[in-house]
Amino acid sequence: MTGGAESATGMIIEARRLSKTYRVGRYEVKALRDVDLSVGVGEFVAIMGASGSGKSTLMNIIGCLDSLTSGKYYLDGEDVSSITGNKLAAIRNKKIGFVFQSFNLLPKLTASKNVELPMVYAGEPAKRRGAAAREALAKVGLTDRGHHRPNELSGGQKQRVAIARALVNNPSILLADEPTGNLDSRSGEEIMEIFQSLNREGATIVMVTHEREIALHAGRIVTFRDGRIVSDERVDEPLRAGAPAGESGVGAL
Amino acid sequence: MNLFESFVSATASLLGNKMRSVLTMLGIIIGISAVIMITSIGQGFQASINGQFSKMGSLGLEVGVKYDEDVTTADMLTLDDASLIVTHPNVENVSPLASMSGKARLKNPAETNNLYFMGTNENFKDVQGLDITEGRFLARQDVDNKAAAIIIDSTLARKLYGKTKATGQTLHATFSFGNVDFTVVGVYHTVDFGSSMFQMPTIAYIPVTTLQKIYGRDYLDNIYVNVKDRAAIERTALEISMLLSMRHGNEGKYNVSNLLQQLDSVNDVLGGITAFVSLVAAISLFVGGIGVMNIMLVTVTERTHEIGIRKSLGATDGNIRFQFLVEAVILAAIGGLIGIALGYCGGVALGGVIDVVPVVSAPTVAFTVIISSLVGIVFGVYPAGKAARLDPIEALRHE
Repeated sequence: MTGGAESATGMIIEARRLSKTYRVGRYEVKALRDVDLSVGVGEFVAIMGASGSGKSTLMNIIGCLDSLTSGKYYLDGEDVSSITGNKLAAIRNKKIGFVFQSFNLLPKLTASKNVELPMVYAGEPAKRRGAAAREALAKVGLTDRGHHRPNELSGGQKQRVAIARALVNNPSILLADEPTGNLDSRSGEEIMEIFQSLNREGATIVMVTHEREIALHAGRIVTFRDGRIVSDERVDEPLRAGAPAGESGVGAL
Repeated sequence: MNLFESFVSATASLLGNKMRSVLTMLGIIIGISAVIMITSIGQGFQASINGQFSKMGSLGLEVGVKYDEDVTTADMLTLDDASLIVTHPNVENVSPLASMSGKARLKNPAETNNLYFMGTNENFKDVQGLDITEGRFLARQDVDNKAAAIIIDSTLARKLYGKTKATGQTLHATFSFGNVDFTVVGVYHTVDFGSSMFQMPTIAYIPVTTLQKIYGRDYLDNIYVNVKDRAAIERTALEISMLLSMRHGNEGKYNVSNLLQQLDSVNDVLGGITAFVSLVAAISLFVGGIGVMNIMLVTVTERTHEIGIRKSLGATDGNIRFQFLVEAVILAAIGGLIGIALGYCGGVALGGVIDVVPVVSAPTVAFTVIISSLVGIVFGVYPAGKAARLDPIEALRHE
């Protein structure tokens, strides 16, 4: 398993001299300084860094939740640096699938209704939504959990519902922000297994994590410090989720 | 998300906070129910008043003596005055009216029925709007010949003769001045005024000349005037009053009132009451609307995280705004509907006490629902806009 780099036919993410400056009172905080980053189709990239290193800001910009101060950002070949408002919402809806640390499911909706939400905002009719939600839930192994509410599900199951929701509109890229942060290590392994399997099927995944163990499941690790990329390494032999620990090489780096 | 789905999801969210939703609606419920209760009573009362006036026949002028002045016998109205009024160019016809009470003897000689005798002429049938079911009303010859003809109502006819076909029967009447035998020439349908507030005695009509002969006096109570041109009715009233004063050599002793105007003034009073209640309701709706806005602001704050999630999944500002606006409108519209139901119940209860059948018309219901929905929109716009403008990242961070 070598990630998807070889199969890449184009770039999903192309960021050029990306800068983000926050104003906190009288001070300016430079969260990102001239970041260049490219992610190809089918790649599984882990982004690491201490808190405050700028990795979350990068995720928000990549995910079209935040605007950039300067630079250029192409998502799936489209310049989204200057897009705002409804168009940006449409891009979030169709091209991006978010997976959050705290799952971010709506507690009053059932699992399948949660999965349907992105399709609701895409204007899909109710019939099509139900079928697509079932399919997406089946993909994450939750065929029989569609009618459960989030509080009836375990942490790992909630995160799988969130992944199904992220996948349901067939986005160009899956963005995961500390997806295993609130999970025990076994559930975390399950999530990595799903990610790796999705990636094998061709999904492009960018995942923020501060755990090296988790990051080593990806094909590439980008490390941030003080708003800059300090290293960008290929993982020659990523950890195989589900395989007994220590079998494949952490030392491969 | 289509309108129906928005409606369902908004309703579900409101049902998730039942107590709060009901309390929020309370202001609107109170405002709407108050206005429905009062207007239903008002409309019911108005309908009943108008019905009574229309049963009273054509509305012309009523001429009478102002009894609050020191009136002498020389000022009293007579048949000569009636003849004088007819000469006015705008007068179609007149009906003099004199009255006295007496008794009609029933089959059992010991039993009597109190009667109110109205002496008038052939024109009064239309003034009073009488529905003659048997025989005829008074004729000119009856008046000219001082005939002992009488028209009674169907209820009395049944009492006296056991049937309503009573023409040709004899009615034995007893007055303090003696006894008179009348011949029944007509029967009119007993007027049901629909309300015990207007309890009327049994009225029998006889020629005015006959009544004057029995009574031994020439005076009239009133003269009813039908005019030709209604537009000139006010001027005609004034001129009749002047004619009478000239003939009697007095000043300002006659009342010539426009019956239509009386109806108008009753309607004016009711309209005034309705307007006042509407003002109170408007204030209460305003307060209720602020209640809706307040709760919607709380809801937006509580659901900031949800808004962040929805935005991250691709909801536009418009989607979010619409979601909260629909909730505010449903809140207000359901409040309005509950208010209509409660108001109608209140109207029925109050109407039972004062003997008026409340009327809630379809336009009133439609108008009320529209108004309360508008309240929802007006007071939901600000909270919904606030929700729509939330920054997705900050909203997601909000727990």
